[in-house]
Amino acid sequence: MFHGCRQLYTIGLRFQSKTHSRCIGTLTKAEAKKKRNQLYDEELKRQRAAVGRIEKIDVKYHGPTEEVILAMNKNLSTPHDCAKHISEGLTKVAALALVNEKPWDMHRPLTGPCDLTFTTLKAPNISTNRAFWRTCSLILGAVAENAFKDDVEVHLHSFPAPSIKSGSFISNVYLNLPDWQPTVPELQAMSALFVKLILRELPVERLVVQEDLAIEMFQENRFKIKQIPDIAKHNENRITLYRIGDHIDISKGPMVGNTSLVGRTTVAAVHKIQTDEGENLYRFQGVAIPSGILMNSFAYGLLEERAKKLNNVSWMPQRIEEDMEEKLTIAAQN
Amino acid sequence: MNQANVTHLVSKLKFNIRPTPRRLKNKDGPPGRVLKIQKTLTALFEYERIELFYNRADEVRGYAERLISEAIRRGPEDHEMMDLANFWIIRKEFVHKLFKVYVPRYQDYSIAYTKLHKAPRLYPGIYYKRAVLELRGNPYPSIEQRNAHSNVLLHNLLLSEARKEYRMEKYKEIAESMNEREVTSQ
Repeated sequence: MFHGCRQLYTIGLRFQSKTHSRCIGTLTKAEAKKKRNQLYDEELKRQRAAVGRIEKIDVKYHGPTEEVILAMNKNLSTPHDCAKHISEGLTKVAALALVNEKPWDMHRPLTGPCDLTFTTLKAPNISTNRAFWRTCSLILGAVAENAFKDDVEVHLHSFPAPSIKSGSFISNVYLNLPDWQPTVPELQAMSALFVKLILRELPVERLVVQEDLAIEMFQENRFKIKQIPDIAKHNENRITLYRIGDHIDISKGPMVGNTSLVGRTTVAAVHKIQTDEGENLYRFQGVAIPSGILMNSFAYGLLEERAKKLNNVSWMPQRIEEDMEEKLTIAAQN
Repeated sequence: MNQANVTHLVSKLKFNIRPTPRRLKNKDGPPGRVLKIQKTLTALFEYERIELFYNRADEVRGYAERLISEAIRRGPEDHEMMDLANFWIIRKEFVHKLFKVYVPRYQDYSIAYTKLHKAPRLYPGIYYKRAVLELRGNPYPSIEQRNAHSNVLLHNLLLSEARKEYRMEKYKEIAESMNEREVTSQ
């Protein structure tokens, strides 16, 4: 009998060691996060120092009533800094900057003389809405990472390109729970975490790093390690990182400037999905509306119900064409 | 029940007149109140949009509605109607305007002929609320301004997509029920 027990025990051990070898890192969640942030801070410091002698650039701000020329610092000043010169109110509502009419993150340094305008979520264009949806996906990733106890293995997988038409923003996460179906209180607790993060009013920082540094940062995450070389191949060996508080993730961007721009929000559902490699992934889905937009709770309930359905969105070129058509019709109506 | 049909004796207004009239306080008493209303009515028929104190605007609104509806019902040949118009409208040219411009304009209206907007008041200034009173169908640009971005606001996009999806589901249900009916009839 004892012998049998030992056998069982060894089988158990073998199984454990197998799971250990699958994830390369041996750091705990908190340690991994700390290390990632340390590397981020060091790289940020290095990039700031590498700017060297400060050059001035002329930034032409086109406001609704006025045009202002601002003398800013090349490769240091961001659209957010420009907004600070104009008014405090603008720094709070501006979601996305348009630099030479192209979307530009609020916290991304300006690289030369340019024309600057701001879009808000109450007067958005299509890229602002998409940036908002993408930011919500990023926050949802942060929530999913923090929501579980230390003994649950959590690895963020990815979030696809934002599709507002699908009715929910999503974040794909690997959990080592074989068959987890969240209860309503669990979803509510995650929504509460989401709201807590929003209320901290964190800026959404952006940093472009080299491929090898990104791989070092995401040592513990075997999905990201596979994705990073692919992304870097199409992007001159560089990776764009976004940081909210201490949560760092990869995304092409752009994102909105601050988490306080997100208003009413719900984590609606978690669905189990299968990938090509047979991994068990969970798809977290949520819905949110910008702060300052008040909505009837019945109407919001409809959106919540819709966000609960499994969102099967994957990137399709025709969707972008549709958006373009929509843009044209809207322009024609106006 | 031998009750007279009284529906055509009184004009049916699309505006609820207050059960108690406002006194429109002034030193001449009731005749002063009437003069005030006459002046405001004349100004309204002249300019078609006027800004004034809310109380006076709301009071005059009922008189304007009643006068226009009577003019539509009776026409310019009716002597009593002409007396009424001459009494309330101080200047003769606007009596002509009432019958020649406003009667054709409002003949087929199924809603009120006037519109009242609340207007902001100066601070610090006179305490009384202000309002803009206008005749509908006037040539000026609208006071109410529509949000130019309402098509692209995020919650509107979400709601319109939800509506589309709901409609598609309904169509599918109808199609299925029709198929079933065909199967059973065969």
